[in-house]
Amino acid sequence: MTALMLALLVGLLFACGTYLVLQRGQIKLVLGLGLFTHAINLALFGTGRLTRGAPPLVDGETVKAAGSAAALFARYADPLPQALILTAIVISFGMTAFIVMLIFRRDALTGSDLLPGELAAVVNTADPFAKFTLRMQLPEAADDYDLLQYELDEVYDYPEREVENARE
Amino acid sequence: MTPHPTVLILPVALPLFLGAFSLLFQSMAPDRRVALQRILAGLGLFANMAVAGFLLFWVLQRGPQAFQLGLWPAPFGITVYLDTLTALMLAMVGLLSLLIYPFALETIDPERARLGFFPMLLFLLMGANGAFITGDLFNLYVFYEVLLMASFVLLTLGGTPSQINGGIRYVVLNLMGSMMLLLGAGITYGTLGTLNMAHIAVRMAEAPYTVQAVIAGLLLVAFGAKAAAFPAFFWLPSSYHTPHPVVTALFSGVLTKVGVYSLFRVFPLFFPTLLATWQPLLLTVAGLTMVIGVLGAFAQPTIRRLLSFHIISQIGYMLMGLGVALSPSTYGVGFGLALAILFLIHNQLVKTALLLGGGAVELEMGTGKLSELGGLVHSRPLQATLFLVAAFALAGFPPTSGFIGKLGLLEVTFAAGQWPIAAVSVFVSLLTTMSMIRLWQSIFWGKPRLSPPPGVRAPGRALWTTTPSAILVALSLAIGVAAQPMLTLVQTAASQAIDRAGYVRTVNPELTEQDRSLPLGIQSQRSEKAGG
Repeated sequence: MTALMLALLVGLLFACGTYLVLQRGQIKLVLGLGLFTHAINLALFGTGRLTRGAPPLVDGETVKAAGSAAALFARYADPLPQALILTAIVISFGMTAFIVMLIFRRDALTGSDLLPGELAAVVNTADPFAKFTLRMQLPEAADDYDLLQYELDEVYDYPEREVENARE
Repeated sequence: MTPHPTVLILPVALPLFLGAFSLLFQSMAPDRRVALQRILAGLGLFANMAVAGFLLFWVLQRGPQAFQLGLWPAPFGITVYLDTLTALMLAMVGLLSLLIYPFALETIDPERARLGFFPMLLFLLMGANGAFITGDLFNLYVFYEVLLMASFVLLTLGGTPSQINGGIRYVVLNLMGSMMLLLGAGITYGTLGTLNMAHIAVRMAEAPYTVQAVIAGLLLVAFGAKAAAFPAFFWLPSSYHTPHPVVTALFSGVLTKVGVYSLFRVFPLFFPTLLATWQPLLLTVAGLTMVIGVLGAFAQPTIRRLLSFHIISQIGYMLMGLGVALSPSTYGVGFGLALAILFLIHNQLVKTALLLGGGAVELEMGTGKLSELGGLVHSRPLQATLFLVAAFALAGFPPTSGFIGKLGLLEVTFAAGQWPIAAVSVFVSLLTTMSMIRLWQSIFWGKPRLSPPPGVRAPGRALWTTTPSAILVALSLAIGVAAQPMLTLVQTAASQAIDRAGYVRTVNPELTEQDRSLPLGIQSQRSEKAGG
């Protein structure tokens, strides 16, 4: 039952994380990645058997007293998943900090408190039905990868117009 | 002379110590600090190359070697494992990083150098070397993260808007790939009860198909995303054209190739049966990677964007080699893997040469736009020749390493009866040729359209920037002309990579017997579940 709850929780976290990562907006992206990390950490936690009140230590007497492997498993907690989770937490903490800094830096470069991802809603180079005037302003060789670059240039050059576009 | 097996951790320890040491002098004046960091990085790259060369020599003499860190016996401690494939990759990455060093010395701007370009180079090397040499699945994840963290910094160093945009995509997508790897490692521990690769190889053979399929699927997604295989390649073309050209050249030779190496290492070792049953899947992924990469390249307006799509396309050939890795052929089992390794090495040489050449042009002319460049063959005949030879090597023309690799791969795929993928690969080669000729024409042919901006080119720069590509192209030609020694070498590497019993024996000879007597093995877990 506990294992089932854990599995469902991991699944739920993965689902929420996927949903958030697929949203527009940088904060949602960071939160989504955070949920992913939690889901994986919980999954790692579940890889050791779920025991209650058992120490992560085994001595020879416990082994003798347990008799069978199955009985021994119930008597001690597996310490390795904890170590793995600890490592994973440290790494994901560093990564999250780095992403947050990158996003912060990008916002600083756009000089706007609007989320750059939301500006992208206005100009989509791949969309043939996007507003004609907006598409005309794109540089000649623009492709999808130029999208955000374009936004940044645009915000640099005409901050007021970009804000108006975002309001529409 | 038999060295102590501790030398096996030198490829990790050496860059780590030198990199960390060169970060210590923060109170020094910036220019003196940078001068010191340059010297330390140069020392580190030379020493690393020497160690890698020695390890290659050693492993060819004595066969595969393993070392247990802290002398904990195999399934409990962290194992370091070296065979010919590992040593070859260590030597290749060592060589590439050594060759880009003079280019970096000459072209890197003071701002980037001040922000720690040279220490990061060493950390990147440490991550790559660690991912090659480790014999522990979780440790592999950790080294991947070290590699990624260093690459994040190198990619965004300089902080221009386009770098930050590309950097965010790169970071997020690669992070998802690492998460899949971590999840795969976790599930491996949960089902097989071990993370040591040799031990996993022993137990995976007895694991039910579902367990094998889940772990193999997760690892395929994780390493495939690192290697920029279809469908997880989007991070590469959106970020590789943004950093300093020397960083792109280094990444093309190191980052995606670590992912490919991990696939070569993990699949024959853990899932030899899945290599046969999943062959259609692997070959489909390979074909789509090739086709989409090369078609994407046609639409690209700048040198580095075009070349980054070719990186993806070439990864497809390596996956094709993995798909037929264990197929029987006239040269014995494992010849497919041998050729995939040969192609990997060829690609590292040629791609880095192309990106260094293209990067030099971009730095000198101040732009990489194909519509603005032209006619450089008049002012830079040597560079133009080198670029042309490298371009033909990429397309697979005869006297180069590309020809040997592609011909061999075609032969193996035909012998395996997989003619559709062979046809696709030939077609993609044709498209690659067209694309590379178009690229060469737009940069070098015709009348000079753009004069270099004044003050950009320092005297003597051409020597520093051209020599590395010249060496790389010469190596590619050498492999193409004298192919037999190289073929023998990669065949040794492949035969060791597919020798699972040999791997387990080298790591710990008692592992197999221990597993039967140990009460904590997978058998007891299974009986516990059946009983409960």
